[in-house]
Amino acid sequence: MYQDYYALDTDMAGRLLDIARRKKVDAEVFVMRSRELSIEVINGQVDTFIEAEASGLGIRVINAGRLGFAYSSDFSAPALQKLLDDAITMAKYTTQSEHNRLPQSGQVYAPLEIFDNNISRISVEDKIELARHMERNARAYDPRVTVIERAGYEDGEVSQLIMNTRGINAFARGNYCGSYVFVVAEQEGDAQTGFSVSLKKKYADLQPEAVAIEAASKAVRSLKAFMIPSGRIPCLLDPYVMTRFLGIIARMVDAEAVQKGKSLFAGAVGQQVAAASLNLVDDGLYADGIASFPFDDEGVASQTTSLIEQGQFMGYLYDTYTASCDGAVSTGNGQRGSFRGLPSVGTTNFMLLPGEHSRQELCSDIDYGFYITEVMGMHTANPISGDFSVGAAGFVIRQGQEAEPVRGVTIAGNIIDLLKDIEAIGNDLRFFGAKAAPTVRIRNLSIGGE
Amino acid sequence: MIEKDILEKVLNRALEKGGDFAEIYVEEKINNSIFCENNMVEKVNTGREKGAGIRVVNNGNTAYVYTNDLSEDGLLKAASTVSRAERAGVTRGTVLLVGSSCPDNGITRRTVPLVTPIDDKVKAVLDANKAAREVSGEIKQVTVSVADSFKKVLTANSEGELAEDERVRVRLAVNAVAARQNIIQTGYESAGGMTGWELFDQVNPEDLAVKAAGLAVKMLDARPAPAGSMPVVMSAQAGGTMVHEACGHGLEADLVQKGLSVYKGKMGEMVASKGVTVIDDATLPGKFGSYRFDDEGVAGQRTVLIDNGQLVGYMYDRITAARDGASSTGNGRRESYQHKPIPRMSNTVIAPGTDDPDEIIKSTEQGLLVKRMGGGQVNTTNGDFVFEVQEGYVIEAGEVKYAVRGATLIGNGPEALTNIDRVGSDHGFAIGTCGKDGQGVPVADAQPTIRIKRLTVGGTSVAGPTIKRIRRR
Repeated sequence: MYQDYYALDTDMAGRLLDIARRKKVDAEVFVMRSRELSIEVINGQVDTFIEAEASGLGIRVINAGRLGFAYSSDFSAPALQKLLDDAITMAKYTTQSEHNRLPQSGQVYAPLEIFDNNISRISVEDKIELARHMERNARAYDPRVTVIERAGYEDGEVSQLIMNTRGINAFARGNYCGSYVFVVAEQEGDAQTGFSVSLKKKYADLQPEAVAIEAASKAVRSLKAFMIPSGRIPCLLDPYVMTRFLGIIARMVDAEAVQKGKSLFAGAVGQQVAAASLNLVDDGLYADGIASFPFDDEGVASQTTSLIEQGQFMGYLYDTYTASCDGAVSTGNGQRGSFRGLPSVGTTNFMLLPGEHSRQELCSDIDYGFYITEVMGMHTANPISGDFSVGAAGFVIRQGQEAEPVRGVTIAGNIIDLLKDIEAIGNDLRFFGAKAAPTVRIRNLSIGGE
Repeated sequence: MIEKDILEKVLNRALEKGGDFAEIYVEEKINNSIFCENNMVEKVNTGREKGAGIRVVNNGNTAYVYTNDLSEDGLLKAASTVSRAERAGVTRGTVLLVGSSCPDNGITRRTVPLVTPIDDKVKAVLDANKAAREVSGEIKQVTVSVADSFKKVLTANSEGELAEDERVRVRLAVNAVAARQNIIQTGYESAGGMTGWELFDQVNPEDLAVKAAGLAVKMLDARPAPAGSMPVVMSAQAGGTMVHEACGHGLEADLVQKGLSVYKGKMGEMVASKGVTVIDDATLPGKFGSYRFDDEGVAGQRTVLIDNGQLVGYMYDRITAARDGASSTGNGRRESYQHKPIPRMSNTVIAPGTDDPDEIIKSTEQGLLVKRMGGGQVNTTNGDFVFEVQEGYVIEAGEVKYAVRGATLIGNGPEALTNIDRVGSDHGFAIGTCGKDGQGVPVADAQPTIRIKRLTVGGTSVAGPTIKRIRRR
């Protein structure tokens, strides 16, 4: 489908940009076309089957430093004309800023392998069977696994065309696939959930058995969990939990947050902000990363950006606007959620780099601690103040060993302290979506419990 | 929006290869938003989108297709795709749609926000920005956003039902950031409803802005919240995040039927203390979670879920109702044409009781007063929930002492509801966007002032020998 649309869309965008030039405004056309397949199996039956295509475009106009934006899913000629007019109208109401500008041509895009033909080639029947296979494996793992909430397969394909009046002309398409299992284990009136989600760039990298087993084992091992007393104790953060914290940190390294006085990393460049073992990067080119793409959502080439190196703060993530404000260069982090919005600073593959220790080594000298495998309510953590207080579950660590399961407690603190209190970093790097982290050991965290 | 004969053709095509039920949902919407930060009107956006979702249900299993192409050919192509999904091959009679109808439950629409000039909207946003900044020199940043949406929806199904409606929603939000030396705190206020711009006849954007900024400044003086188990009073103005998380989600029929709710198999049993009545009500005029009919064409209604402590109802969409031999309670909602409908809350409330709210605080020896709740989350399977405290105070000897920050409450749904020992006579609402299965829908929640005998407060101020002063930056 994409080859068909590429020529049409390029012509259409070119015509709109010509009109914009005649009206003496800068403009950018962003066209997104996507396809989605989603299969969810319950008790061997396909409970939900979704197959769909959607497309839309957004026009960004800059008229004498004023920004206007309009989007539409309608590609008809009159709708497109109205869309451009709407964007120009919107620009009348916004505040003028010299930093409102579009990226210039001359970008060099890295050749990335981001399209796996297998994903579209493999039949729907095989994909349904993969989901069924995961469901069977999860159920067979342990008799206490009583409910398979959902076992699913999904894949998606996206193409993006970005053209602007400053000469940017970028087109690429990528795809991904994923599988997930959510289960419930029950024992003597206690019910606990377990899940596993895996998103991959290549169909061959899906590991359905591993996903099924992880979900089932997580649920079973959480049964009969108890609260632990309140206190400050050493903690081990599972890669999943650490990636949830990375979600907050991502908002603190955003140049926009810094410029607006909403980040604790303001003025931090060159300072020691974390333990010396910590290295944090945003890598839009990482080979297996789900977020890898040759360019960002305003057509700036993707790159690898080092944010924290051996605990020292190196710099921020920029899009074109925030880079202009700081007299810096965009790091290729202008992101949009869809064609419905303007670009703003966002992460690509956001990674806390692995250290050298195995998980066993990380907890071997902890007499009494908390190995945290789940957090709840992380969206309530405050990226501006850095404060967090979230629900947590996991396991007690006794004499260096993982002991009984824990649930119903909270962990609280401040992100800045957490980064400095990192004592050691594991070697078990793992991706959850586009964020990756290994297991991390924290000197101590405040636990709210019994 | 789409001619009746085309809708009939599409439904017949969708059922060509069998199926128990077919439906088409069509949506056309215009979204406008204005965003101000850094004293600048940074964004004024407008967008138009239209699309249709077609589904076929067979033996409770769903095949779903969506498209932006609303031409007859586009819709028929989508219907053919959806009919391809594997199924038993049941053949049905031809679908004939009964005349267009709109279920009436008293929810009416007044003015459309689109007629409000952009200048007026920009002025409201700038006035709010100014008002927030004038509260204190410690206010360092203010974000004000206003968004309105106008959505035409149509549902038609193989039962012959056709319903069309127009929905208008407006929402304004203010976020203020206050800073003093190394401490940064935030305050947030929002207002919104299934209403046009006339919302601001009742709600003054500047008042909201002053409240948000006042909270941010007040929290600069707050002490770290305590950690541990203690009595918690939640005032009416705190909003209803607690009821939403502690029992709302667990009473959605899909989760109950899949065995994913701590409330499964408890119909008729006492799941809360005697004074607690919980209602989901889509018919409250103008509230953020209100609607005339849901996204399956079923009239929105008032559903009692817990009656004086006794579990009496679940929230159903069409599919889950059919499984239980019940009727849909009009809770089948979806984020957009790109999503299949699932059981969702509308406006979920704990009904007011008879206790004097002030007296509830006075009779509390020691504990936490929650004046404002933030976001929350629940694990419906075991009932564990958390929610954020945006504004909290320590109660000592029946008196409200000092403000605390950084607290989260964690509890268990049935346990917390059973531990409610006081229910006030007041009532307060809060609005939000509720996320489930990757779909966000607008909701409102409300409660009176209540007291829960014991909840775990997750602060950083831990009593005992390991106490350490928490450094804040």
